[in-house]
Amino acid sequence: MKFRAVREAIILIALASLPAIGHGFYFRDKVSWQSSIPAAELVTVEQARAWGDSATWVDARPDDEFAHDHVPGAFSLNEDRWNELLPQFLPNWLPGRKIVVYCNAQSCNAARDVAKRLRDEAQLQDVYVLQGGWEEWLKKK
Amino acid sequence: MGKLFWRILGIAVGGIFVYAGMLKVLDPVQFGLDIDNYKMLPWFVSVRLAFYLPWLEILCGLAIILRVLYRGGLSILTLLVLVFIGATVAAKARGLDITCGCFGHASQHWSFAQHMAIDLVIFVALVALLWIEVIRGAHHDQKS
Repeated sequence: MKFRAVREAIILIALASLPAIGHGFYFRDKVSWQSSIPAAELVTVEQARAWGDSATWVDARPDDEFAHDHVPGAFSLNEDRWNELLPQFLPNWLPGRKIVVYCNAQSCNAARDVAKRLRDEAQLQDVYVLQGGWEEWLKKK
Repeated sequence: MGKLFWRILGIAVGGIFVYAGMLKVLDPVQFGLDIDNYKMLPWFVSVRLAFYLPWLEILCGLAIILRVLYRGGLSILTLLVLVFIGATVAAKARGLDITCGCFGHASQHWSFAQHMAIDLVIFVALVALLWIEVIRGAHHDQKS
């Protein structure tokens, strides 16, 4: 039973790779294969700084981290208090302004998720995620 | 319990995995993000798994329904569910707020307890099917 199960499992594992490869090929241009955030949605600290007053900074970290320190002029907008903070944020945004969202580090998903919600729910455009997050901002301060 | 019961159970379990796999095939990027949320694998691995695992689920589910490569399908799915339960418990212990993506957006708002309950029921069903298959195999070997 043991060897038959292993043999059959190997066959199934190999067979599954065929449609998976085809599926991946179909999506090859639609997926960011190296980062969970597409390159077009990432912005470096230097680029974001160069935007000057045309950039609105959004801090996606928890309240206590925002209170401790944050990018000067940044708005706190995290998923824990999304319904409360979004209405406070929106009046401070003007069409044409770029939004830069950051969280703790590149591995933190909060900035990615907040940026996605700003695009999908608030219908905002020009929303970017800060490459390297808060740590990168501190390094280049 | 009769053969009919085990056959129906097998079809039900196989059907669940075919359904779950097809939901994930429709939105592999979201499934990749769900895997990434467990913070166990780098993105380049998560996204590739997101394209591969649903097809493995579908094929194994069909294997159970059609009783072709049956033991292999059962074994793979049992192992997958076990790994998934372990990863979910580990993520919860680390304080991560995750959605498993098991059934695409249909399971997005399930609580941790609901996830665990359903996963454990499926795991027990798989183990039971495997066990019955082992017993049948042993009887067949004795007769021959």
